[in-house]
Amino acid sequence: MTMLGELEQIVLLAVLRVGRDAYGVPVHDEIQTRAGRDLTLGTIYKTLNRLEEKGLVASHVGEPTPERGGRRTRCYVVSAAGKRSLEATFKTLRRMATGLDVGLEPT
Amino acid sequence: MMNHTPLTMRMCIRLLERWLAPDLADHVTGDLIEQRERGILWMLGETLSALWHLHARPQPGDGFVHTFLADLRIAARLLRRSPAFAIVSVITLGLAIGATTAIFSVIEPVLLRPLPYPSPEQLTFVWERNRDGTRENVGFATFHDLAEQSKTIERSAAIGSWEPTLSGNNNPERVSGDRVSWTYFRTLGVKPALGRDFVAEEDVPGHNQFVILSDGLWRRRFGADSSIIGKPIAIDGNPMTVVGVMPASFDNVASPTAQIWRALGYLNQPFACRTCHHLRMIARIRPNVSMAAVQLELDQIHARLEKEYPKDYASIGAKVVSVQDEMTRDMRPALLALSAAVFLVLLIAVANVVSLQLARAIRRGEEFAVREALGAGRSRLLQQLLTEGLLLAALGGIVGLGIAYLSLPLLVARLPVELPRLSAIHLNTASLAATTGVVLALAIVMGLAPSRRRGADLGSALRSGRRLSGGSHHATRASLVVAEVALAVMLLVSAGLMGRSLVRLLGVNAGFDATHLLTLEINSTGANYRTNESIYAYHDRVREAVGAIPGVKSVAVSNQIPLGGNVDMYGVIDPDNVPANPELAPAGDRYTVSTNYLATMRIPVLAGRGFVPTDAMDTTNKIALVSTALAHRLWPNESALGKRIRIGAPEAPARTIVGVTGNVRHRGLDATTTQQLYIPERQLFFADNQEILIVRAEGDPAALAGSVRQAIAAIDPTQPIIKIATMDQVVAASTSQRRLALVLFGAFATAALLLAIAGIYGVLAGSVAERTREIGVRSALGATPSDIVALVVGQGGRLAVVGIVLGLAGSFALTRYLQSMLFGVAPNDPVTLVGVCALLGGVTLAACLIPAVRAARVDPSMALRSE
Repeated sequence: MTMLGELEQIVLLAVLRVGRDAYGVPVHDEIQTRAGRDLTLGTIYKTLNRLEEKGLVASHVGEPTPERGGRRTRCYVVSAAGKRSLEATFKTLRRMATGLDVGLEPT
Repeated sequence: MMNHTPLTMRMCIRLLERWLAPDLADHVTGDLIEQRERGILWMLGETLSALWHLHARPQPGDGFVHTFLADLRIAARLLRRSPAFAIVSVITLGLAIGATTAIFSVIEPVLLRPLPYPSPEQLTFVWERNRDGTRENVGFATFHDLAEQSKTIERSAAIGSWEPTLSGNNNPERVSGDRVSWTYFRTLGVKPALGRDFVAEEDVPGHNQFVILSDGLWRRRFGADSSIIGKPIAIDGNPMTVVGVMPASFDNVASPTAQIWRALGYLNQPFACRTCHHLRMIARIRPNVSMAAVQLELDQIHARLEKEYPKDYASIGAKVVSVQDEMTRDMRPALLALSAAVFLVLLIAVANVVSLQLARAIRRGEEFAVREALGAGRSRLLQQLLTEGLLLAALGGIVGLGIAYLSLPLLVARLPVELPRLSAIHLNTASLAATTGVVLALAIVMGLAPSRRRGADLGSALRSGRRLSGGSHHATRASLVVAEVALAVMLLVSAGLMGRSLVRLLGVNAGFDATHLLTLEINSTGANYRTNESIYAYHDRVREAVGAIPGVKSVAVSNQIPLGGNVDMYGVIDPDNVPANPELAPAGDRYTVSTNYLATMRIPVLAGRGFVPTDAMDTTNKIALVSTALAHRLWPNESALGKRIRIGAPEAPARTIVGVTGNVRHRGLDATTTQQLYIPERQLFFADNQEILIVRAEGDPAALAGSVRQAIAAIDPTQPIIKIATMDQVVAASTSQRRLALVLFGAFATAALLLAIAGIYGVLAGSVAERTREIGVRSALGATPSDIVALVVGQGGRLAVVGIVLGLAGSFALTRYLQSMLFGVAPNDPVTLVGVCALLGGVTLAACLIPAVRAARVDPSMALRSE
């Protein structure tokens, strides 16, 4: 299994944190609050598309709402494969960091 | 809720829906709408980002726009990968496009745009035409007869300059205005925005106390008060009724600085004579009548008038000039030369960027070979290159617009205020259109240039497994550098000639000593100054008060000063030799002066005597001084001393010439006629109520300005004091147009020089890098470092020499068009030509040295081992 890219890790974690109704805006806000990074929606959807192609997230179409001008959301959830990917990525990182004082030692 | 969506948001949604897959567009636009309170900028950014990241990859059969977007993405990625190339190219293009846009924005309204009046092609000025082809203002009687008798002229008006003092509320102000025939605005085809136009009954002496205000004056001085119509305002101490206010959009091209108009009222007045040339005539010719027909008819009428009044005309016909041509007469050569110069700079910039692109194309040879091997057709590769060119040009265009936007106000501030339509100069649709045109042209040039040589050897490039050799690209780059040097030479020669002209001009002996002089205009209008004696007394008091200020050496008054921009000429008649037509007598600049004027100005008295205080009081024995040139013109072989003259008319009182002065340059440092006439103040039949006060200071004249102003205001605070300037400033202002042209040409020439140097450096550096192995072999075979330096410098030197020779040839062909902007130097001035060659030779050598030294340091063993 290949390592996840940085953007992929961040977006996956954000989707996990948001939980239900993880569409563009809440994912964006979560990343902005936690990581301090102001990604554009375009970047986020692009990453989500890529993750979906890899089977790491699944998506379903939500309900249209008036606040959205009658447009529907696309909500994402992290798949089992997605979680495994994250775990594998972090395990690799931790192994690489073992014995180094870089703040990523196994706890 | 969508009904109230702002335009920007609708546009963003439209874009996304057009270019993204439908369901994707649905989610993204939904997110944008949900978050719309984040603002328009956020929305635009998100839209662009979404388009950028999310639009589908082009598939075969996709439309042009899809492919274009994909190409654009590749182009942007490539530019990001070579930031040095991107930055240098964009800045180079940006500077050139910015300069082009700025100059175009000046030229378009001034030279190209039709005048802001209905049927502007029917508007002409009419002058009297002199024997030597020069023209002269018309006298009122002549204007009247031409207007009455002409059948080709539909309507016409006379314009006389007028500089009234707006008095009242203790804030006196001199404004620039015009006295105009009641038909003036009707001739132009414009109407007041408030109130009404003049009517015929107001254009009659005694009934002409009516004025129309410009929008600017109305807002500034009268607080945009619309109830002012029909009310009197105080002008020169008299009440005059405001009948109208012109619209803000009114562009008064005949006198751009005029802010107030008064009905002329000249009919049957003494100054309404045929020989009083102080009016300009503007006419609207009938539709479908040619300019030539008007010229012919007015010449015929003029011939009849000449026959009827043989003693009243020096002119031999009329001169009809379209208003559009007349407005730009003085500036046209300079503006055209500037546009040519800026075009050359643009060419050089493009040559430079193309040259950089070629260098890059050599390195990208493999990339293209791979693409072609993978099945990309020629047209597909070409499309990619054109997209790259467009991206580069568009970025340059954006930077250029920014530069133009910032530099245009600075440029406009330095343009002469007399330039018509100055207020119309700003970045507008026309400048944007021009910039877009330039960008597209550049995109094509820059896209096609590197593709010129694609073809046969691409496959071989792959097979060879080595870099493409850039042979023909090198040849192209070399010729580009030659072209750059040639164009830079032409610009440098032009700038050099203008610079030498200015130096020559400032070296001219103006005939007076401008240092330590302060000049200012004093006025005496209104109820307290109805008599000549009251005006003289005011001048005396002012001179006395200013003379008492510490640091003042001497004070004088005169009705005008040299280089101050006034024209006030009188015919000078020798009573012993009265010409049959007195109008053909020589004319002199009339200086009515206080006793110590010549001494204060340090104008030398070369024969006889200067003025003494008793002259001013002696009104019976009238005297005059004349300049050497005027004396020589009247009595070529005799002394002028003791001769008698009459000024203005054969029946004027005779005066004795008591002295001959040096000539002064009155109209400009480049003026050819310098005939002056000096008369003591109290010996003329009228007193001027606008006078120039001239103060000679012991130290810095500017430092005296405050105390001089106070001293004058203490005598009469109701009189405006204006145009305070040192004489050095007056002299400098008289050359301001040349300075501006020089500064602009100098800037363009410097840019051209820098670009040419960068071009030579780039070609040599690239060539040295490519020839490392060859240079290594040469060193291994025994070439010394100095041989290598000579090799590289020789290569650069050859390019420079060819460029310089071509540039000199181009200069010979082009600089004669600069003739009217030159003074005291020939268009092929050897000093300038040699100087430019030396300068270019020197900087080329410097540009060659860095790559040359690098080449000389090539270690032969390293260079050969790397193979």
